[in-house]
Amino acid sequence: MAPEVDLGERLRGLPSGSAVALKLDPREYADHYFAVLNATLRDVGSETDAHTIYLTVTNPAAFVWTLAQALDVPPDRISFVDAISHIMMNYANPLPNATYVESPRALEEIMLRIEYLLRRFPHPREIVVIDSVNSLAIHNPPGLLSEFFHILLNNLKSRQVLTLVLETSEEETTGIEQMLNLVVDETIDVGRLGR
Amino acid sequence: MELPPVTPPATPPTTPAADGLLPPATVLDRCVVGIEGLDSILEGGIPRGNMVLVAGSVGTGKTTLCLEFLVRGAERGERSLFLSVTEASSKLMQNLSTFEFFHKDLVEQGSLVFVDLPKAYDRLGLGREELTNEEIGIVLRTIRDLVRSLGIRRLVLDSLTSVCYRIRREEQIRDFMLRLGQELNEAGCTSLLVSEIGPTPGRYSLHGVEEAIVDGVILLSNSHRMGDILRILQVIKMRGTAHSHAQFVIQLTPIGLLMAPHLKGGQEGGT
Repeated sequence: MAPEVDLGERLRGLPSGSAVALKLDPREYADHYFAVLNATLRDVGSETDAHTIYLTVTNPAAFVWTLAQALDVPPDRISFVDAISHIMMNYANPLPNATYVESPRALEEIMLRIEYLLRRFPHPREIVVIDSVNSLAIHNPPGLLSEFFHILLNNLKSRQVLTLVLETSEEETTGIEQMLNLVVDETIDVGRLGR
Repeated sequence: MELPPVTPPATPPTTPAADGLLPPATVLDRCVVGIEGLDSILEGGIPRGNMVLVAGSVGTGKTTLCLEFLVRGAERGERSLFLSVTEASSKLMQNLSTFEFFHKDLVEQGSLVFVDLPKAYDRLGLGREELTNEEIGIVLRTIRDLVRSLGIRRLVLDSLTSVCYRIRREEQIRDFMLRLGQELNEAGCTSLLVSEIGPTPGRYSLHGVEEAIVDGVILLSNSHRMGDILRILQVIKMRGTAHSHAQFVIQLTPIGLLMAPHLKGGQEGGT
């Protein structure tokens, strides 16, 4: 079974309020990344009244939006919090369905933008995708990042929001994995699906 | 303009303490600010009739917070008054129109009232740079009469600092504030007084006397983290309230002021 089919089923079966880490293998990053987008944006996101808030720190929102369009995701079903375009000086053509944070270090501002979008566009089924913990870790010290995930994920859980955290796995268990294990309910290794 | 009747302030009820261990506590009537995070910090809002200093340096969001307080109040049927000293009302309303929570109807219906204090000074003949005791009395009576005649339940004075520029002696400022606080409290009017502060830490007003007299102080400031600036809100004092002293990062959004905990990353002073 293809990873994206299996992943879509797994994600659809998750109760609201779950927080899940999705582990991507860096050696098959492109395949895994597309499988994750397919499963999150199309399979889960296509549910009736679902709305996805996509926090992007790895790639600019414009890039992810291009992929989402290829998956036929309607613009009113996805909003972006883009925390990377500003520091990449790539802010000339902002997307109408994106809000831009000046820096991936502005963790509180990221929380507030997610809060804003949750209030501004209330939907019965909200999904927050964090892409990715590794990119956030490049810009933030571990203590701050742990506190950020602890507060954000608990807040989203209490509001019955499904949270998916993208993580690129390493050969050995890292501090990032240990930190994520404390705050997520489950870790899905995308590379092991469908085998 | 036909004005709706004024609702008298509610009598504080008493309830037994939730855990049953402490003696019954008086539950203060709260003026719900309408900003979710702030109301949560303040046990439901500012005690009705309290006079609160909103202190901060330039560009920290003082005026916007105060405007939201008034708009949210007007929406709840509490007539609200903005006394502007530094900025023309027309300009303020222009700024307000960028917020989704503001509806022009509130002004047109008289639920939200703007008064330019400098214009009132001119009409009252208070042209001198330094106000005498008698003139200070005239200013107080003007504010009192506005509050009483319009049935104002929420008031913002922006800014107290500008008013105090014309009241030079500390004892006069003390007297002005004591009398203002008393008048507003008797009218059941909850007020926010905007106070500019300099870079000196630990001071929330220009003269120092202001912060001692008010019932509460909400501090707005900027914090730096690795070169980035964060806007911070912190409740320094609020009489009659077991409030949080924690710092919160704020953001002024079209749907109103939003708050998130200020992350410290395990460090006492933040990063």
